[in-house]
Amino acid sequence: MGSIKRISKELTELTESPPEGITVELADESNVYEWNVIMEGPEGSAYYNGKFLVKLSLPTEYPFKPPTVSFATKIYHPNVTNDEKGSMCLGMLRADEWKPSSKIAAVLQFARQLLSEPMPDDAVEGRIAEQYKNDRGRYEEVAREWTRKHAC
Amino acid sequence: MSTSVTASTSLPDSPRPSRLRRFSLRTYTQNLSLPSGQRSYRHSLSSRVPWRSSNSDSVSPANSTTSPCPESDHPTLSRYTSAPAPSYGFGTELNSQVSSTESAASTPSNDLTQTTNSMARLRSISAVHRPPPRTLERATTNSQESTPSPEPGPAQSNVSEPTSAPADGQVTPSKSETKATIRFFPYQDSLQSSRPSLPFVPVARTLPSESCVIRVGRYSERDGVPLPNPTEPSDAPVGFKSKVVSRKHCEFLYVNGQWHIKDVGSSSGTFLNHMRLSQPNMVSRLYSIKDGDIVQLGIDFRGGEEMIFRCVRIRIECNRSWQQQPNEFNKNTESLIKNLGKGETADYSGCRECSICLGSVLRPYQCLFMAACAHVWHYKCISRLLHSPDYPMFQCPNCRAFTDLSAEVDDSNDPEEKREKEPAEDGPSNDSGEQVDAEAPSVVETNSMEGPPDQLGDLAEEEHLANDVENLHLQEDQQTDDTRSSDSPAPNSSSDDLARSATANIPGWQPTQPLSVPSGRQSQLRSDTPTSDDNPLTPRNDSGPLAFDGRAGMP
Repeated sequence: MGSIKRISKELTELTESPPEGITVELADESNVYEWNVIMEGPEGSAYYNGKFLVKLSLPTEYPFKPPTVSFATKIYHPNVTNDEKGSMCLGMLRADEWKPSSKIAAVLQFARQLLSEPMPDDAVEGRIAEQYKNDRGRYEEVAREWTRKHAC
Repeated sequence: MSTSVTASTSLPDSPRPSRLRRFSLRTYTQNLSLPSGQRSYRHSLSSRVPWRSSNSDSVSPANSTTSPCPESDHPTLSRYTSAPAPSYGFGTELNSQVSSTESAASTPSNDLTQTTNSMARLRSISAVHRPPPRTLERATTNSQESTPSPEPGPAQSNVSEPTSAPADGQVTPSKSETKATIRFFPYQDSLQSSRPSLPFVPVARTLPSESCVIRVGRYSERDGVPLPNPTEPSDAPVGFKSKVVSRKHCEFLYVNGQWHIKDVGSSSGTFLNHMRLSQPNMVSRLYSIKDGDIVQLGIDFRGGEEMIFRCVRIRIECNRSWQQQPNEFNKNTESLIKNLGKGETADYSGCRECSICLGSVLRPYQCLFMAACAHVWHYKCISRLLHSPDYPMFQCPNCRAFTDLSAEVDDSNDPEEKREKEPAEDGPSNDSGEQVDAEAPSVVETNSMEGPPDQLGDLAEEEHLANDVENLHLQEDQQTDDTRSSDSPAPNSSSDDLARSATANIPGWQPTQPLSVPSGRQSQLRSDTPTSDDNPLTPRNDSGPLAFDGRAGMP
């Protein structure tokens, strides 16, 4: 149960000094493995002014296994699946890329960074990635539209 | 002078004979060499340009050939330009020679700009996620290579002496700071639920010289059993007991500070991170490889379940030499550990945290585990990774360095000591010993040790810039109270190896030296530095769990 100790430690750190635009809380006070994260759309991005609910789920083997990040709020983004799961593909969260020394704070910051700079080459939504690359204006329009509709 | 230099590094002016020589070196048969011959012909055409210029230029050959493409954009080209490994060693000698004639004030600043220049250059080229230390190390080597360029005047006058030095052969490989080391670990693809690949003992190779090639192919009884992990530099071929590996399968080459792989006409293919390098029985071009890359030899033969039909998956570990030398990190860890039991006043505020539990790790009364990379965890936290199915292989969760936990314990820093004693027997080493004493105060503690030039060299590599700055004063002092002739080896030589190779291998240079600096002076200097014991940045041989040569626990 070393994982609980580490997770609570990270939770304390994150609640005491939260990174910019990120607020964390436990989804259920009795379960440290499920977190609710409120992520504000970064300034300058199409998601600005949006508040996105992100579910962070930690495996019991944490930190030896990576956490999973999914968007509960619908978001128009090449790296987030456009379904009810809203799972996010982060390079650092892949099993072979994950390092136990990575912290949740880093994961969340990286996820937020991805909102300002999507990585179309690493996309899960090919169509959005295509649009992001070829028709940036239209992409931003839709992303803003979705943000207004779902995340405000 | 430079023409003679180029000649002495045994590279003929025309590319054709050199190409032939290469192939005979690799013991290739004629038909094999055909496709690659065409390739290299094309490249050698382009490589003529730098060669020509270096011949006619007659200023600084080492620089003009190596510096234009420090990262090998054109692998084959740079391979040819860098083919004479000794030219590297020559460049460094040239450096130490040259800079010694410069005024004390100008040399360090020169070095400074050099380093920053090459660093900037590197940063622009180097891969995105290369950790800073690595870049730094590369920068230092590059600055060494390119240093001679801005000092044409003195170089001309001095270089006539060291020209014959590279012929010595032993200059470069044994003493260059960044030895070309590569290690192969078995890799099991955990994602694709394919059959396990061929298990094999991890293999390590350190090239005796940069021009050597590591051949990889099917294990054959006839070739005898090569040692998997020779302690000495070796380019012994690596064999795998698998039917899907061709006899001549692929090769690993070290070109311009970068490891490359090349398929030499295997039938079932060489795959670099799942990408096949060439068609069956075709020679591929050079592909650069980096730490962590996965190389697969052949594909599973579906007709049989035996191990001998499995493909080979290799995880490459290279470019980690910075980690296997004293560096800021492991020296820091060492000092923390040394003070561990010392109780009351010890300051734990700067303690590392255990990357598993995020608790403070360097406290007394805890069971710790430290890997060869000097990362430390609570034993309880890390034990899960130690006793994994992969045991005895252990991968550091912080830096991904692999360690073979079952490897023989390498007590002491034997190889280092041997290297130190060699020069201690002949004359000039006295001088280099004195240089040690003349080094910056930050490394003063080494003075209390017996014959530590190499240790210092390693250390100084890290503190290159700082030392240069501080040497500036030191050398002034020295010139006032010492009667050394002005052409003595450069006091600014950041790496003592430079100085030593200069002292040991330049004929005609030795006699001009004050052969033996009175040993009394050395001891005097040593006793002059009583504060040495408290210096936390200095590596010591008697350090308990720390292996400064990084070889402990490694195959």
